[in-house]
Amino acid sequence: MSTMVRRQIPVLIVFVTSLLIMADYFLKLPPINPVTKLSWTSLVVTDIQNWGIILDAFALGFGAVNLFYLHTRHISKRAKGQWPFSIWLLLMVLVFAGIGIAYGPTSDQYSWLYNSSYFALSATVYSSLGFYMTSGIYRALRARNLESTLLLIVGGIVIMRNAPAIAVAAPIVIDMEAWLSAIPTTSAQRGIMIGAALGAIALGIRTMIGRETGFLGRLTEAETEG
Amino acid sequence: MLVTGRVFALGMLIILWFLIIYGMEMAKKRLPTFRSIPGLDALPEMMGRATEMRRPVHFTTGLGSLTGTVAPQLVAGLAVLGYASELAAKYGVKIIYSVYSAQVMPIATELMRDSYTRAGRLDEFNAEDQVRYLSGEQFAYASAVQGIAERERPAANIMIGPFYAESMLFSETFFRIGAIQLAGTARGYQIPFFAVICEYLLIAEEIYAAGAYLSKDPVQVGSIRGQDMGKIIALVLIIVGVVIYAFGSSAILDLLKM
Repeated sequence: MSTMVRRQIPVLIVFVTSLLIMADYFLKLPPINPVTKLSWTSLVVTDIQNWGIILDAFALGFGAVNLFYLHTRHISKRAKGQWPFSIWLLLMVLVFAGIGIAYGPTSDQYSWLYNSSYFALSATVYSSLGFYMTSGIYRALRARNLESTLLLIVGGIVIMRNAPAIAVAAPIVIDMEAWLSAIPTTSAQRGIMIGAALGAIALGIRTMIGRETGFLGRLTEAETEG
Repeated sequence: MLVTGRVFALGMLIILWFLIIYGMEMAKKRLPTFRSIPGLDALPEMMGRATEMRRPVHFTTGLGSLTGTVAPQLVAGLAVLGYASELAAKYGVKIIYSVYSAQVMPIATELMRDSYTRAGRLDEFNAEDQVRYLSGEQFAYASAVQGIAERERPAANIMIGPFYAESMLFSETFFRIGAIQLAGTARGYQIPFFAVICEYLLIAEEIYAAGAYLSKDPVQVGSIRGQDMGKIIALVLIIVGVVIYAFGSSAILDLLKM
């Protein structure tokens, strides 16, 4: 495939689309449609977003094909510890798709199916997070060096603040935790946030001018300057 | 003409744009020095470990999509995926990429195919098996990744992108199976979880610099210098803002609100 198709055309599309979206965000242009009161940039950006939704739907089909390919292979090979779950997965995909097509994704039937199966399972997995956190923090809160000792002390204060009996018996932990949250934690978070925002802008600019390799593949030696 | 409240942001964006382009141009003449990022330097070590253990390497970019506000984090993760795939192909290690958003699949497939081609091992790339769409639902995706960890026991796990509650589920599960882990995210709430469990961590802006760092392309590396100049501007604004606010002037605040 030529460089034109693989790199230059996608970069041009990204550049023009990004400029349009930025123009819509920063500029206040006169409306061209008296009913919707939208400017031409807003209309174009809305259209682009709609194209994105359509492309996303196509990609979902691609994902479904991958899912079926992988799991039918597990079933046909009787993959150890996997194939019964693959049957169940494909069965559920078909049931959800069938009910969704027959009654619609906002119907009572579909909602019941979703809430009775996925919603309950999802809440269960989310709840299990508490156990993972406990085991993670058990390993982390050990005084091995200066940093981990600081973490241990700060973690201890926050835990005591959130234990009602201790917070009542020693109200000083409430003030200490409030100070830790408001001053050192917030300062560090904002520092990280500013750095991340600048990093995202730099990445955006590199992407717009075709120097970022994240979505177009790595640069060839010929494309790499210096 | 300009939307009120966004004038300063536009001005800063234009200044940053020029600084980054300037950094890129300067880098063509003289390559800037770049501090080492241990997490990215450890990628060959991770592949080597997987080769010795004859186990795969697992890669995921979290709950990233290309159309949301976290898209830059996903793009940063894909840059590392391209490099890691090439490395895996050279080492003869299978790399599994777990996908949350279906829209990423075609891009990731092409990216990995490109990496295998560069390594001269295209015949070893099996897109259907290595690029796996799991689910577009958070905890279904999280459970599926945990399932891959338990069944296929990857020797290394790389997680770069936007992560939410699943960060802890992933890092703990992969820790339990003995995988060496590299994690990176710009989501502040998840950084501590990764920090306490994973061997290597990329904090916020480091993930955005990863593509440039790994490419060793002077122009890309130069853009990081421009970004650092932007950081200096932000720092100066903060210090000046704090000092003059202490003296009763809200000039910087008014400027930001323009």
